[in-house]
Amino acid sequence: MTAEQTRNTAAGDGAPVVRLPRRPDRPAEPDLRERLGEFRALLVISLLMTESVNEEQILELAASSAPGLGSWRIEGYGFTDGQWRPGTGHNPAAPRGLTGQLARLGSAGGPVDLPGCPWAQAYPLRGVGGLLGHLVASCDEEPPAEQRFLIQVIAQQTGVAVSNARLHARERATAAELAATNAALAETVTTLQRSMDIHQRLTRVAVSGEGQPGIARALHELTGMPVAIEDRYGNLTAWAGPGQPDPYPKESFAKREHVLRRLMRATSPTRDGERLILLASPRTDVMGVLALIDPGRRADSADLVALEHGATVLAMELARLRGIADAELRLRRDLVHDLLAGTDDESALTRGEALDYDLRRPHRVVIVEGKGRARAHDALLSAVRRAMRQARQDGLFETWSGNVAVITAGQTDWEQLRRAVMSDLGGQVRLGVGGAAARPSDLPRSLREAGLALRLQKTLLPGDSACEYPKLGIFRMLAAIPDLTDVDSFVREWLGSLLDYDARRKAELVHTLTQYLEHGGNYDATAAELSVHKSTLKYRLQRIRELTGLELNDPDVHFNLQLATRAWGTLQALRDER
Amino acid sequence: MTGLVPSGIDEIGLQPGSHVCAFYRGDTDRDRLLSGYLGAGLTAGDKCICVVDSANTAERLESMPGACGEPGPYTGQLDIHLPESTYLAGGEFTTSDMLTFWTEGMVKAEVEGYSFCRLVGEMTWALRDAPGVEHLVGYESELNRVTARYPVVVLCLYDLDRFSGEVVVNIVKTHPQVLIQGILVENPYYLGPDEFLRSARPVPASPRSASA
Repeated sequence: MTAEQTRNTAAGDGAPVVRLPRRPDRPAEPDLRERLGEFRALLVISLLMTESVNEEQILELAASSAPGLGSWRIEGYGFTDGQWRPGTGHNPAAPRGLTGQLARLGSAGGPVDLPGCPWAQAYPLRGVGGLLGHLVASCDEEPPAEQRFLIQVIAQQTGVAVSNARLHARERATAAELAATNAALAETVTTLQRSMDIHQRLTRVAVSGEGQPGIARALHELTGMPVAIEDRYGNLTAWAGPGQPDPYPKESFAKREHVLRRLMRATSPTRDGERLILLASPRTDVMGVLALIDPGRRADSADLVALEHGATVLAMELARLRGIADAELRLRRDLVHDLLAGTDDESALTRGEALDYDLRRPHRVVIVEGKGRARAHDALLSAVRRAMRQARQDGLFETWSGNVAVITAGQTDWEQLRRAVMSDLGGQVRLGVGGAAARPSDLPRSLREAGLALRLQKTLLPGDSACEYPKLGIFRMLAAIPDLTDVDSFVREWLGSLLDYDARRKAELVHTLTQYLEHGGNYDATAAELSVHKSTLKYRLQRIRELTGLELNDPDVHFNLQLATRAWGTLQALRDER
Repeated sequence: MTGLVPSGIDEIGLQPGSHVCAFYRGDTDRDRLLSGYLGAGLTAGDKCICVVDSANTAERLESMPGACGEPGPYTGQLDIHLPESTYLAGGEFTTSDMLTFWTEGMVKAEVEGYSFCRLVGEMTWALRDAPGVEHLVGYESELNRVTARYPVVVLCLYDLDRFSGEVVVNIVKTHPQVLIQGILVENPYYLGPDEFLRSARPVPASPRSASA
């Protein structure tokens, strides 16, 4: 092989070639030392290029080192993607026609034509993945073999260094991408972890029976913000965190209704001034509002998740409470019905205990009847409950034959209670009170007495005042007579002609006589009670005298007529009952 | 003194009389080399003379343990100088003046009782547009002649981010030892001052980006 022969004889087919310098004639020692010094310098340049991960830095180092290694220079670098990087101080644009020449050379390299350059050669830049491009060197005359070998080595080292730098850049990009992915993943994990914490904390509250205060407390702990829970009317039911307003502000009814309508349409938390609010409504008739007090508007997405989850737990709690209330209400209603209809003591006492109601005390039945606006059963029931609560009386309540029946152990001013109900509802309210029942099984009797009192009150007694059966005196005695035949005969004996007249003419002479006698013969009071003019009353009394032939001022007649009218009223009441 | 002297850098030992060219990248790397090299010298009781290219660097070196006296010639164990009073004294670089500066420093140290000297120069001053800086490589070659006669080690610091490849090549060719990436590269074929000055042309130590 000659000195210019290649180490790889397959150079002709484009395979990588390392050209060795021609063996020189024995050089003078200074020249040899200089050549060896250049190799040392080349070694250092190679080390520096290998150490660098900056492609531009590598290319510049190679180009700028050329003048120190010989009289040649690096014109620039042509890369396989068509890019041209000029050598130090050269024109940024690639010399005309050079890109095409480099493409044709392929990985072998070789001479190229450069305008104004007697000698120009392209040396392949090879990297790990193959050909990266070419280093284009030029000189005013063909450099000696030793110099050409240096250029070849510089090209080889530059190729390796650039390849490494690109690999490193890719690795850095991959690492950065991985880091970004990891960061995103970590954020997702953090978000999920917080969601799980929220879920676990609120689920714990839901199952632990901590109720609405527990829900508010948990949400406050999760968000760090004060939390309020309100009922549908805006009343505060629970608060957690600092700054609880006292008194708690309450919106007007109209504004509250507007807010609730807005919340019903919303699917996510809604801002209402300084608060983020959400509706908890397990059914249309059950509502609660969960509010996060956030004047600084710093609630993040996790806080909103916590609020939404809190609203779900609150809805469950409200549904549970309403379910319990409904069940208790049903049980109470069933018990009241059974007590009024008649049940055994043992069963009644047990069921009362289950409802935390003591039936061992003597109870009585009170019947409340409403007329006009007070006739609505539910409204009347609620009004009676309120009045009893105000009178500090407990009891069992239920609607009964269009009226409200109260079973109570209390003894209060029943007239005052009646007035309270009437004041609450308006309209007309009557009230009948039965006698005390020592045992639950006696309550049907008390009910009958209460009903009787109510009817007697309507028939015989003046006004709408409450009527207590135990205070009815003669009425009570008459009602207690098992066989009413003699009573009926007595009534017919004294009032028969008037009863017949009333039946025939649809008149009210018996009722007029009754009120006249009950008011002690006072014309004014009787006329007022009957809502008629005094002359009308006098005319009716004259007709009574004519029909009966009796003198009403006769004490004996007066007594018998009063007894007869009371017996008539009692019979009427008893017949209505039957 | 015979045997190797600890350089204080990457556990590298140096022969007395060594003139080492150290390449680094950036201020952090420079400070690591300076503090290691001077720290070892101060610990060993060597006279340390350094020329740094900024007042900030000088101030940091003053706080080194063992340093004493204010920056200036012949004050304490560690003398710290700036280029304006050394390499570029009088506004231009003169090889002979600088060699005289080092020589006088070493003689003075010997008089003061120091048995060994440790010299260091931060060479970025040569990137300034000042008369005479093109003689940098020749100066480095001449310095070999001086260091061979004294109990001394010399470290010349070159910032690779700022010096061109040509300067690097010529510095390697004229230095018997080059410190790079923690490796001490020996160059037994370095050109002595006479050989270099006979063959070489002046090399402007221009920055990399402008070194044409």
